[in-house]
Amino acid sequence: MINSLILSYITFVYFGSFMLYLFMMVNGRDIFGRLATIVTAVGFAVQTIAIVLRWLESYSLGIGHAPFSNLYESLIFFAWTVILLYLIMEWRTKSRTFGAFVTPLAFLALAYASFSPNVRSHIQPLIPALKSNWLISHVITCFFGYAAFGLSFGISIMYLLKRLDNDDRKNLFLKLIPGKGVLDELNYQMVVIGFLMLTLGIITGSVWAHSAWGTYWSWDPKETWSLITWLIYASVLHSRTVRGWKGKKIAILCFIGFSCVLFTYFGVNYLAGLHSYAKS
Amino acid sequence: MTSSKTDKKSNALWRFFSSVKLTIVLLIILAIASIIGTLIPQQGQGAVQFAKSLSPRWFSFLSNLNLFDMYHSLWFRLLLGGLGLNLIICSVDRFSGAWKRFSTIPRPDRTKPFEHLQPEQTFFVQTKINDPVLSIGRFLQKRYKRTQNKETGHDRFFYGEKGGYSHFGVYLIHLSVLIILIGGLVGSFFGFEAYVNILEGGKIDTVTLRKGMSPLKLGFEVSCDKFTVDFYKNGAPKEYRSDLTFFINGKEVEKRSALVNHPIQFKGVTFYQASYGKLPGKKVRLKIAKHANKDDITTLVIEPGHPVQLPEKEGQLIVVDVKGDLMGLGAAVQVLIQPSQGEEVDFWVFQNPQIVRKRLPAPMARSPKFNASEFKPYTFFLDHLESAYYTGLQVNKDPGVNIVWIGCFMMVAGFFVTFFTSHRKIWVRLSEEESGTKISVAGTASKNPVGFQRELENLTNDLKDTFSEKG
Ligand code: HEM
Repeated sequence: MINSLILSYITFVYFGSFMLYLFMMVNGRDIFGRLATIVTAVGFAVQTIAIVLRWLESYSLGIGHAPFSNLYESLIFFAWTVILLYLIMEWRTKSRTFGAFVTPLAFLALAYASFSPNVRSHIQPLIPALKSNWLISHVITCFFGYAAFGLSFGISIMYLLKRLDNDDRKNLFLKLIPGKGVLDELNYQMVVIGFLMLTLGIITGSVWAHSAWGTYWSWDPKETWSLITWLIYASVLHSRTVRGWKGKKIAILCFIGFSCVLFTYFGVNYLAGLHSYAKS
Repeated sequence: MTSSKTDKKSNALWRFFSSVKLTIVLLIILAIASIIGTLIPQQGQGAVQFAKSLSPRWFSFLSNLNLFDMYHSLWFRLLLGGLGLNLIICSVDRFSGAWKRFSTIPRPDRTKPFEHLQPEQTFFVQTKINDPVLSIGRFLQKRYKRTQNKETGHDRFFYGEKGGYSHFGVYLIHLSVLIILIGGLVGSFFGFEAYVNILEGGKIDTVTLRKGMSPLKLGFEVSCDKFTVDFYKNGAPKEYRSDLTFFINGKEVEKRSALVNHPIQFKGVTFYQASYGKLPGKKVRLKIAKHANKDDITTLVIEPGHPVQLPEKEGQLIVVDVKGDLMGLGAAVQVLIQPSQGEEVDFWVFQNPQIVRKRLPAPMARSPKFNASEFKPYTFFLDHLESAYYTGLQVNKDPGVNIVWIGCFMMVAGFFVTFFTSHRKIWVRLSEEESGTKISVAGTASKNPVGFQRELENLTNDLKDTFSEKG
């Protein structure tokens, strides 16, 4: 299938942009940064086309459905949203330093999707329970949430690294990372977007579950883990807004939060449950 | 008033429940408890198996803590209740503050906002402005609410604001959390979760509760008139549906179809198409041969449970049990014969007697229970088992669902108000100087300082334009 082939090539494109962002950080030459942006944007455009192709292909197979229905497709979509949010952030902040910390997420997700023997890339027909517009909204909102949390994770790492920087230290890499205040503010914004999207994702998921299984909430492990993630980020928001926590503590909480996201996504497959990704 | 308020503030219990520290602790405890809940299988099959693998000590320890049905346990509900109480008290405690921030209008002639002004926020008009209240006042009125102006000495001040409701966004969010919790409680007190299997053509009036597996009378009857399933080419089910009829006191009231993802409701009870299966036993085709004479074969098509006459009226025959697979030996029916004279006999008739002879030890295979010739002089053959679909329905009643949806809607609305609106206050100062008038624009916002700075610059530019048009 041509789409999976293209998508597997995109893995290398994003790896390339990661390397370029890294070069820029290490030797400070702006040209690498500009190249990196171009490579990332081109990769993103091609990835978008590949996703649309996959969608069309599912229709030509007679089992047409939006390409968000199994582990493979969700990983592809995750990489896509990470890059989309990243490009928006790069454009808004006019800073390319985030690239070195964010593109690896997209590249790793694509690599796992394309090259892991555990992930099947065929277009599969949908079982009846998955045929729902709520499912599409559910997946889109959840994955935007996960991507925002992914970016927050990258920013948290940058924050923790930036703390090592001081005037005596002549490390260009650390110098190039934006100031701690900027990082903290951006991190907060990402958490806000992620929290909003995750909330929407949990709500649309509940509506879907209600229509498919008859209960809006059944404490199935995946559901519960998304709630755990939600609770962690709710405490991030409170500790920041109300208790005035900043910087390191928030960065660490975001670290924990993103680990929960990853567990919700992958770890839950080792616990039994209703969610079909677990079986594909 | 004030004294009772300070009483409240100094009350230790009140302070405890109004603290956000408690909120964070509760949120984290709930998160940890939920993690435990996903590690220990809850309810159902998994839980039983897991429980069997434990030593009795561990088992009683875990089950005393209700860890096998944690989310319905008292302590988990107490945690949620604590969060609810925390929310209510915290909101009450802080509401007056938010109300003040919303309703207090600052003096229009404050000078503090004009300290540390960006140069872009000031411009110069070469003339004296004749009627500033008309020009600038109008201009602000169009964009802001609660505008005011005031003259002090050489300066004239204008004030306008918008987005004050932004302070209430968090209350909307917090109220929505409460509403969702209440919706959940209503559901667990006044609703039920059950399931039922109905054979195609069958009718039921009782369902089985998931909790405790006890039966529950619905108060009406449901029949499944028809069940259909479509398959994909690879054999996976594509769509299935049950055509149901509802009866009250035996009278047909309504006909509806339940499809996957399209549940139906009757009298507040929701029926979801959850599963389906095949059960043998709609119709049984038996062949009956007189012993020695194989040509003399009668075919009977029988519905289980309905007595039929034997060919020569020696008595009647009832198919009392039907198994799609009896002891791994294939399809079989249990036949009971009530002769007009003599003892009743019952025995199993297999579809494939050779297998029985091959697999079963000889003494057992010769047992009268497995002998299809037990009723002399006949031999019975099971010719065909017509199987019937049954539809698996999830039967739920949850009067709390709509409350939960309202809460969800409020929560999303609350997020938008909290995160994407802000209380913006604008001051404009006109200072008359010898060569003309200096106009400065200043302001504060409760959120998003970057966006607000942009808004201030736009505002300044637009003001500049109104004067350059005139000039
Ligand atoms: C699961 C339950 C809760 C959720 C989802 C929630 C959500 C939120 C959100 C999204 C914010 C806005 C944060 C921001 O502006 O960055 C907020 C603020 C706040 N929350 Fe909660 N909250 C919850 C429970 C509580 C509880 C129990 C309390 C009680 C003490 C509380 C007290 C506050 C306070 C005081 C603020 C700050 C209000 C302000 O900025 O003026 N929250 N909450």
